[in-house]
Amino acid sequence: MLLKITDLKKQFNGQQILNGIDLSINKGEVVVIIGPSGSGKTTLLRNLNFLEQADSGLMEFAGEKINLAQATKSEIQMVRRKTAMVFQNYNLFKNKTAQENIAEGLIYGHGENAKTANQKAVQALKNLGLDKRKDYYPSQLSGGQQQRIGIARATVLNPEIILFDEPTSALDPELVGTVLKDIQQLAEQGQTMIVVTHQMWFARNVASRVLFFADGEIIESGTPVQIFEHPQKQRTKQFLNALADNY
Amino acid sequence: MNSQKIIGIIWRGFPNTIELLIFSFIFATLLGLLLTWVGLRKNRLAQGIATVYLNLVRGTPPLLMLLLAYYGLPVLLKAIGINIDHWTRLMFGILGLSLGWSGYLAEAFRSAYLSVDTGQIEAARSVGMKDQTTFRQIILPQAAMLALPNIENLVVGLVKATSLVYVIGLYDMYNQASNLSNQTAGLHQLQIFILLALSYWGLVLVIEVLFRLIRRRYQWLA
Repeated sequence: MLLKITDLKKQFNGQQILNGIDLSINKGEVVVIIGPSGSGKTTLLRNLNFLEQADSGLMEFAGEKINLAQATKSEIQMVRRKTAMVFQNYNLFKNKTAQENIAEGLIYGHGENAKTANQKAVQALKNLGLDKRKDYYPSQLSGGQQQRIGIARATVLNPEIILFDEPTSALDPELVGTVLKDIQQLAEQGQTMIVVTHQMWFARNVASRVLFFADGEIIESGTPVQIFEHPQKQRTKQFLNALADNY
Repeated sequence: MNSQKIIGIIWRGFPNTIELLIFSFIFATLLGLLLTWVGLRKNRLAQGIATVYLNLVRGTPPLLMLLLAYYGLPVLLKAIGINIDHWTRLMFGILGLSLGWSGYLAEAFRSAYLSVDTGQIEAARSVGMKDQTTFRQIILPQAAMLALPNIENLVVGLVKATSLVYVIGLYDMYNQASNLSNQTAGLHQLQIFILLALSYWGLVLVIEVLFRLIRRRYQWLA
C-alpha cells in the first residue's frame, strides 16, 4: 500500500466538510472521485498535500506515519516532495515561461541542478509537442496548453502520487479531450493518481476505482462497473440518475 | 527676456530637483518595504506600530512634513544626543519627502502583495518550494508588477512635491523660477511659469516612458 488515510476530519467555520475519511491507495492505482459540488472532494485533495491542514486524522505514506493535524514542517515538505498537484485553474507561475514552470519545481523544490532540470523540462515540452512554446508565458498560452504544461510540471517531479483537482473544469469543451488523453496516458504508464472530476467517461474508462463522495463522506467505492452499472446506495443512484437526466 | 535665458535659469535648479526625486524615491521605497514587512507580521504590536506610522504620515501634508523634518527633527534628535546640524538643506528635503512618500508606497506594496493570486503560492508549495523561495521566485516579482501602476502615479506625484522644498530655502526648479519672477518684478511671470510647467511636464514624460518600457519588458502579467 502506498498511501493510507485514517479518519480524516476537517471543519470550516463550524461546518463539517470532511467527516472521517478512510482511504487506501495502492501503487499504480487510478482513483477517481466523483460527486456533487461542495461535497468535499477538492478539500480532501488539498488536505493530502497540506494546502489545508486537517483537524484530525492519520496518514501513512512512503513508510512514514503522520498525524495530519500536527504534521511538522519536515513531514509536510516530505509529502509535498513525493506528491504533485494539477489545479483546476492551472496555476502556472505567471512570471515564468513554460520551460521555467516545469523546471523550477525540480530546481527549487527538489534541489536538482538547473541544467538537468531544464533538459527535463524541454524534453517534457517535446513530448507534449509544445517545445516551440517553451519561452511563452502562461498569458500567451491557451487554457489547454496551460493545463498540459501544468500536468508536465507535476509529472516531471516523478511523484509517487499525482493529485488532479478537476483538471478539465476550466477548459473549453473541445480542449477537454486532449488533456484527459494526457492523463489517461499517464495512467497507462502506471502513475498512481487521485483524480477529482466531473467527466464520467473518464471515470468509467480510466479509473481502477471510483469513489462516490457526498456530504464529506465516501458513500460508495468500487470498480467503474460496480459504481456506474450496479450502484448499491440510494445517494449514488440519485446522483447518477440526475446526471443521466441531463443527457 | 528670452525664453532660452529663462529656461537656463530654471534648469539651474534641475540637479536639486532630480536628486530630491531619485534619493527620496529610493529611501521612501526602502522605508515603505520595511513598513509593509512590519505591517504584514502576525504580531499585533508590529501591526499597530505600522498602522500608527502610516496614518500619521498619510495624514500630514507634505509641506508640513518638510517643515517638521527641517525645523523639528534636529531639535528632537539633539535631545537624544544626535547632532544633525551639519546636514544640508538637500538632505532635509530628501528626508521630509522620503518620510511622506514611504507611507503611500507602503500602501501600494501592501495591496500588491495581497493581490498575488493564492493559487500561485499553492502551486509553488505543491512542487515543494519552501516559503522563502516562493517569496523570492513567485510572490515578489508578481507583486512588483502589480504595484507598478501605483508606483508610477506616486513617482509623478513626487516630482510635483519636490517643488515644495522652497519652504526650507532649497533652490530647485520651482524656487529658481519663483526667484526670477520676483527679481523681474513679476514682469515675465506668465512666461516664466509656463516654461516651468513645461519643464515639469518634460520630466514627467520621461518618467512615463521609463515605466512604459518596464511594463513592455514584463508584459507577461497583463
